[in-house]
Amino acid sequence: MQQFINITLSGLVEGMIYAAFALALVLIWRSTRIVNFAQGAMAAATAFIALALIDAGQSYWVALIVALVSGFVLGAIVERVIIRPVEGGPELNAVIVTLGLFVAIQALIAIVFGSAFQSFPTPFGVRGFEVGDTTIALTPTSLYIIGSVLITMALLVALFRFTRVGLAMRASAFGQEVARLLGVRVGRMLTLGWALAAVVGSLSGLLIAGGEFIYPAYMDSLIVFGFVAAVLGGLDSPVGAIVGGLLLGLALSYVSGYLPRGSALVNVAALVILMVVLLVRPGGLFASSVARRA
Amino acid sequence: MSRSSRRLVSFLAAATVVSTVAACGGGNNDDGGGGGGGENEASDIGVTEDSIKLGAHYPLTGVAAPGYSEIPTGVQAYFDWVNENGGVNGRQIEYIYRDDAYNPTNTTQVVNQLVLEDEVFAIVGGLGTPTHSAVLDFLNSEGVPDLFVSSGSLLWGEDPETNPYTFGWQTDYESEGKIIGEYIAEEFPDAKVGLFLQDDDFGEDGEAGIREYIDDQIVAAVRYTPGNTNVAPQISELQAAGADFVVGFNVPSYTALSQLTALQLGYQPEQWFYSNVGSDPALVGSLLARFSQGAVSDASLLDGALTTGYLPTVDQTDNPWIQQFQEIWEASGQEGELTNYRVYGMSQAYTTVQALQAAGQNPTRDGIVEAIETAGADWEGPVFAPYRYSADSHMGTSGMSIERIVGNGSEEVQPVRVTDIGNAKIEEFDGEPASPPQNGIPDEESAVD
Repeated sequence: MQQFINITLSGLVEGMIYAAFALALVLIWRSTRIVNFAQGAMAAATAFIALALIDAGQSYWVALIVALVSGFVLGAIVERVIIRPVEGGPELNAVIVTLGLFVAIQALIAIVFGSAFQSFPTPFGVRGFEVGDTTIALTPTSLYIIGSVLITMALLVALFRFTRVGLAMRASAFGQEVARLLGVRVGRMLTLGWALAAVVGSLSGLLIAGGEFIYPAYMDSLIVFGFVAAVLGGLDSPVGAIVGGLLLGLALSYVSGYLPRGSALVNVAALVILMVVLLVRPGGLFASSVARRA
Repeated sequence: MSRSSRRLVSFLAAATVVSTVAACGGGNNDDGGGGGGGENEASDIGVTEDSIKLGAHYPLTGVAAPGYSEIPTGVQAYFDWVNENGGVNGRQIEYIYRDDAYNPTNTTQVVNQLVLEDEVFAIVGGLGTPTHSAVLDFLNSEGVPDLFVSSGSLLWGEDPETNPYTFGWQTDYESEGKIIGEYIAEEFPDAKVGLFLQDDDFGEDGEAGIREYIDDQIVAAVRYTPGNTNVAPQISELQAAGADFVVGFNVPSYTALSQLTALQLGYQPEQWFYSNVGSDPALVGSLLARFSQGAVSDASLLDGALTTGYLPTVDQTDNPWIQQFQEIWEASGQEGELTNYRVYGMSQAYTTVQALQAAGQNPTRDGIVEAIETAGADWEGPVFAPYRYSADSHMGTSGMSIERIVGNGSEEVQPVRVTDIGNAKIEEFDGEPASPPQNGIPDEESAVD
């Protein structure tokens, strides 16, 4: 029983981490209609900036804020300098450019910060809580992760649903020309979308890193799982990203824990889950409207 | 960290330059005279009158990089030392190592490059079971000596007929498993043993060895896949099975992950035993160092854990080999301290120099294989137990001690025992430890002339 509880809890926490990353993908998709493959590398870059600050004696929270701000700046710069020139062309161009960016940023991280495996601190404990005389796989750090992701999701929902900026961002993403005719400054909205997505990505990068190990490619497996989670949730819905992340985290944890040689089957299982969901619900579990395509 | 990476970049750049220069100069290899006795000749690919080129692949980046990326710096330091002292038979050793990130696809690519572009004489110390397996057939079909693979898999040495050019070096995982299994059967007959295994030959060989002695004591065997960093399901299973003695056949980063996860789950087996590969206390300690609130500080988590040894370690400052390697490391002027990984690299480089010497004044690729087969079993060096090299076996050193980790060092709990793969018995080793030769460079006679 304890094993089941622990496998479940560890799956939920992993799922929240996938969800955090999926949220960033959803955000950039909603605001620019581009799938950003460089998201993970950008997040990793900000995590390394944070680690450099922590090593220099700053507190975790100062480092977190600086990392988020640098994520914002990085996102804006990437959009202005690298994505903007290819934005007019076929959609695929921008996506391919993000792939190139992904490799380039990872290489830059290795050059600037080194490629060593390093532990990343967390502001909270890494020992599981005790219930009675057993310890469960839920640590103060897990609660911090869960809380941060839920708050971020709520903020995103609020942004898109209740603010003019959010509306303008969605409008720019769906129909640039129409939005422009209606007085929306589309260019700025796209930059803002990238910047905000990079902030959320950066947050997920730091949450994933906390109490774990980082190296330039540490986000790689999470990029895959994050994409799966986002697509499961419909790529369009912050709530869907969370649900998709949790489902994926749980399923993969059970596969790893209960199937023979389960750890090796995790990646295959992720693909199977993705296939099944897409066959049953092609738009994902939480697609707001199936036929809508930009 | 950034400094060392810049060193790495500049080194790789330098290595590329060296190889380019060597390729350009490749035309004037023959010295015209046909080479009478006593003259150095360009006797084979990668060998000139005054140089010999060796190549290697290591994970310099990625999950397996911690620790392992230090090995080639040790090799380099030792070869520099030998070169300073006149090289081997008047030849300077050119050493080129490339990053494969512990990814077999990359290994194939960089080894192709080493063999076909850089035209190395031999590959030395290529690291990793999954990675090196990918180039095993290639090297043997090309007839490239594949010396002293940095992995304890049986693949390198058990079948010299299929892989005549490949030699193992460190104690193989099956022999290690047997020695661990026997120790547990003798000292902890009531322990309920859980195995934490890397899901490849490394874990399989170790498990096979252990099961020969304590099959009935094992209550659970869990496997992790390198790259999948969530090991909570695996550790939970060990916990649920009631294992109170955990043996890990895993790489160092997974030692850190297993300790961290056990901490999360409140799992406290009475005894941890990490096989040699995963047990470097300084490295694991540095990986765990940053975690918060003093919950984890330096190597304290590993304090009291058991491990195995086949080489002296840096904490043994009165060991003459360590003193010699310390001097060589300082002379090399590279950044960082002497670590166990660098000692490993230097020890392997020491064996390499023995092999080059035994291959005679004008070494050939087939000649060095013959030299290791005929003379290798008698070579002494920093390793505790003799090598098993012969025409029938290319297995490396045969024995291990068992040690308890104390702080950043270790103390011996069982002296060296030697064995072999299959149903070979385990015996106490009665040989004397060798001491390093004058100036730390071996002086083997040619075994082929």
